[in-house]
Amino acid sequence: MNNEIPIWRIKYLPKNLDEVCGREKIKERLKSIIKQGNFPHLLFVGSEGIGKATLASLFSKEFLGRFYDANFKLIYANVPLTEEERKLARAEAYVSTSKIGSIAGKRITTPAFIQVKVKPFVQLKVLGEAPFKILIVKNFETLGSNQQGFRRLMEIYGSNCRMILITTKISGVIDPIVSRCQLFLISQVDLDSFKELMNKIANNESLEMEDGIIEILYKVSNGNISRAIDILQLSSIRRKKLTKNNLDEKKITKNILYEVAQKFQNDLVGSLLLMTLRGDFPKARELSRNIISNYKYNPHELFNLLLNELNKLPLSKFARIQLINLIADADFRAIDGLDSDIQISALLAKICLFSEHLS
Amino acid sequence: MAKKVKSVWVEEYRPKSIREMALPTAKVSGHKVDLAEDLTKFVKNFFKEMKRINAENKIIRVYNRTASEKERKEEVKIAPEKAAVLLEGPPGIGKTSIVFALANDLNMEVIETNASDTRTRDALENKLRETVKSRGIMDFVTQSKEKLILIDEVDGIYGTKDRGAVPTILDLIQSTQFPIIMCSNEYKQNLQPLYNKVRKFEVYPLSDDEVIKIAHNILKKENITNLKRGDLDLIVKKNNGDLRGVINDIQGIAQGSTEVDNKDLIFSLHRDTTEEIFALIRDLFQNVSTLREARDLTDKSDVDYNFLYKWVNENLISFIKINKEIANAYDNLSLADEIFGRIRRNQYWALLPYFYDLFAGGTSLAQSRKTSGFRRVTFPRYVVGGAFSLTNAERSLIDKINKTYEISQIEAIQDFIPFLKILCSTSRRQLKNVSDWLDLDAKEKKILK
Repeated sequence: MNNEIPIWRIKYLPKNLDEVCGREKIKERLKSIIKQGNFPHLLFVGSEGIGKATLASLFSKEFLGRFYDANFKLIYANVPLTEEERKLARAEAYVSTSKIGSIAGKRITTPAFIQVKVKPFVQLKVLGEAPFKILIVKNFETLGSNQQGFRRLMEIYGSNCRMILITTKISGVIDPIVSRCQLFLISQVDLDSFKELMNKIANNESLEMEDGIIEILYKVSNGNISRAIDILQLSSIRRKKLTKNNLDEKKITKNILYEVAQKFQNDLVGSLLLMTLRGDFPKARELSRNIISNYKYNPHELFNLLLNELNKLPLSKFARIQLINLIADADFRAIDGLDSDIQISALLAKICLFSEHLS
Repeated sequence: MAKKVKSVWVEEYRPKSIREMALPTAKVSGHKVDLAEDLTKFVKNFFKEMKRINAENKIIRVYNRTASEKERKEEVKIAPEKAAVLLEGPPGIGKTSIVFALANDLNMEVIETNASDTRTRDALENKLRETVKSRGIMDFVTQSKEKLILIDEVDGIYGTKDRGAVPTILDLIQSTQFPIIMCSNEYKQNLQPLYNKVRKFEVYPLSDDEVIKIAHNILKKENITNLKRGDLDLIVKKNNGDLRGVINDIQGIAQGSTEVDNKDLIFSLHRDTTEEIFALIRDLFQNVSTLREARDLTDKSDVDYNFLYKWVNENLISFIKINKEIANAYDNLSLADEIFGRIRRNQYWALLPYFYDLFAGGTSLAQSRKTSGFRRVTFPRYVVGGAFSLTNAERSLIDKINKTYEISQIEAIQDFIPFLKILCSTSRRQLKNVSDWLDLDAKEKKILK
C-alpha cells in the first residue's frame, strides 16, 4: 500500500487536540478537564460539519491515554440497524425460562438500537486503569423517542461510562437529557485560524493562491473544514490541468475555486430547484430520481434541502411563502405516504405550475 | 368409456411422468441445464447423502452417550444446497407439474404446502416438521414410499400473516430427512436468505409451438373440433407461455358453449399479464371520460392496486403535458398515496374508495383534452424510498474507507463518496491512487467512476 494518503482531508486530519484548528477557549476547557481527570456527561452543540465529533474523539483519546482503544466507542444515531443487529436484538430481548425472576419467559421491551449498540458497551466494566469509559453518540437528536431510553442509562451506568452526546439541534434533544449534561457550544472556526491551516496545507503541497482565495473558501465551505480541504485539493488538480501548456499561471484563481465548489451536492439540489422553477417537469423528475438514488435521502431530507436552497434565491416575499407552503404540504403528506417518489414528483409538479405565475 | 366426473383439465392432464412432459428450458446461474436430469440427480444424491450422514450421526450419538459434556460432538447436518432447490419462473409453465411427475417417476409421495395455507411459523412446523424429522413407526414395518416436500409459491410468503416462515423454512432445510423443492414466481427481497442457501433454477416458458401441440392433444382427447386454429393461436399468444392459462381458457370455451368462434368470449377469459396493465393505463388516460368509467375500469381489472397506482405515477407524464394538469393530477395522486399509507398503517379500509377514485379518476380526469394515438407506457421504476439501503458494493467500500477514516454510512454516502467521485473523475491517475490506497476491487471502483 502506498504510504502517501491521496486524500488531503484524511492526510490533514488533526492527530491531537492541539492540532485542531482554532477554538482555543473550548480546547482550554477540555484540557483543564483532562487535568482534573473527571467530567460529567457532555453535550456538544454546533452546526453541521464544523468538527464536533473530531474534537470529542480527540478529547477522549487524550483523556483515556493508552486505555483509549478498550474504553472508547463512537456510535451514529442516524444509521439504521442492519438485519443481523435487528435479529440479535430480538434474540436478546427474550429472557429464557431457565432464568429466575419475574421476567423469566418474557420479552424485554428495550428499543433495539439501545439493546444492540449502547447497552453492551455501557454495561461492561472499565478495562485497565482508566477512570471510566467514554461513549460518543453522534447525531443524537435523530434518536427521537429512543432518547427516553438514555435517561436511565445515563444514571445507572453513569459511574461506569460517561457519554458525550453530539447534536446539531439542541431543540431536538429532550429536556431531561439536556439537564443531565454539561453543555458545550462549539463555534465555527474563526477566519484567522482557518487561514493559518490553509496556508500550512498550501505550503506543504506547494500551492500558490491568489489573494482573497482563502476568504472565499471560508465562505463557500461554511466552516466545514473537511469540505474546504476537499475544494482546495480539487482546485489544485484543476489548476494543474489548466496549466499544462501555460506554466505562468500557477496560482489557484477564484474562477477555478468557484467552478470546483459548484460540483458539490447542495448545488445539485439547487439546480433541481432552478430546473423546476423553469417549468420542465419531466427533466426535473429525472434529476430528483438521480439525486435520491445517489445520495439516498429520504423525502423529508430532500424537502429540507429544497427549503434551504429556496431561501438563497432572490424571490419576492409572496412567491417565497407560496413555495414554502408547497414544500410544507408535500412534507406533511410524505409522513403518511408510502411511495416517496410520488410525493416528491407531486411537489415538483406543483412548483412547475407555480413557476408559470412567476414569469 | 364411462362418463367421468367433470374435473379441471389442468389437473386431469397433469403429466404423470417427467419423460412424457414437455420440459421448459431452465438455467442455473446463466448456464442451460436439463431439468429432468438435474432434479432426478438432486433427489438421488440427497438420499445417498442422507444415508451417509445418518450413519455418521449414529456413531456420534453412540459416542456422545458415553462422553462427558465437554467432549460431545455436534451431529452432522446436511449442506443446504444438497437438501433443497428452488424453481423460479412465471406462473403456469409447469414447475409444480415437474415436481409431481418426478415424484411419480421415483415412486415417492409429495407433501405439499402452498399459499392457500397460512404459513406462520407454527402452521408450517405443524404440517412439515414431523414428516421432515422423523419417519413414522409404520415406516419401519412396511416399506412405505419415500417423501418429497414441495413448498409451492414461496414468494407468496409475506406480511404479518406468514411471520417467521422464512427462518422456519431455513431451519427445515437444515434438519430435513426428505428432499425439499420450492417453487416461486419472482424475485422477492424477503427471500434473500433462501436464495443465498440453495440452488436456484430459472425456468423459462415453453415456446408457443410446444404449447399449441399440447393444446391440440387435449382438444383431440376431449373430442372438441369447433375451436378454430386461428383462435387457438390467439389464446396461446395472449397467455404468453402460460400453459395452465391456455388449458383453462380452452376448457372454459369448450364447456361454455358449443359454438366456439366468438373472439369476445376468448378475450373475456383473459389473465393478468403485463400486457393488460399496459392496455389498462392507456385506457385510463385515453378513453375514460367520466368518473364512473374510471371506477369501472379499476373495478374490473384484477391488477393489484398496490401496484397499479405506481404505474399511474410512472406513466402520467407521457399522457399529460400541460403543467397545470400535471400538478392537478399529482395533487390527487399524492393524496391517494397518503390515504393508502393510512389505510395500510391503521387498517382504515373504509378509506379505500377514495384511494381508487383519486388515483384513477383523479389523474385521468385532470386532462382537459385526451391525447390520441400511441403513447409509450413503461414499467414503474422502483426508486428506493424511506429506508436507507445500501448495495453490497457500497457497503464494502464504506468498510474499507472506515479502516483509515472513521465515518458513518450516511456521511459516507452523502458527503465523502460524492467527493471521491469528483476527485476520481478528474483523471485516471487519481482513480488509480485512490483505489490503490483503499485496495478496491472492480465493483467498488465502479461506484467511483
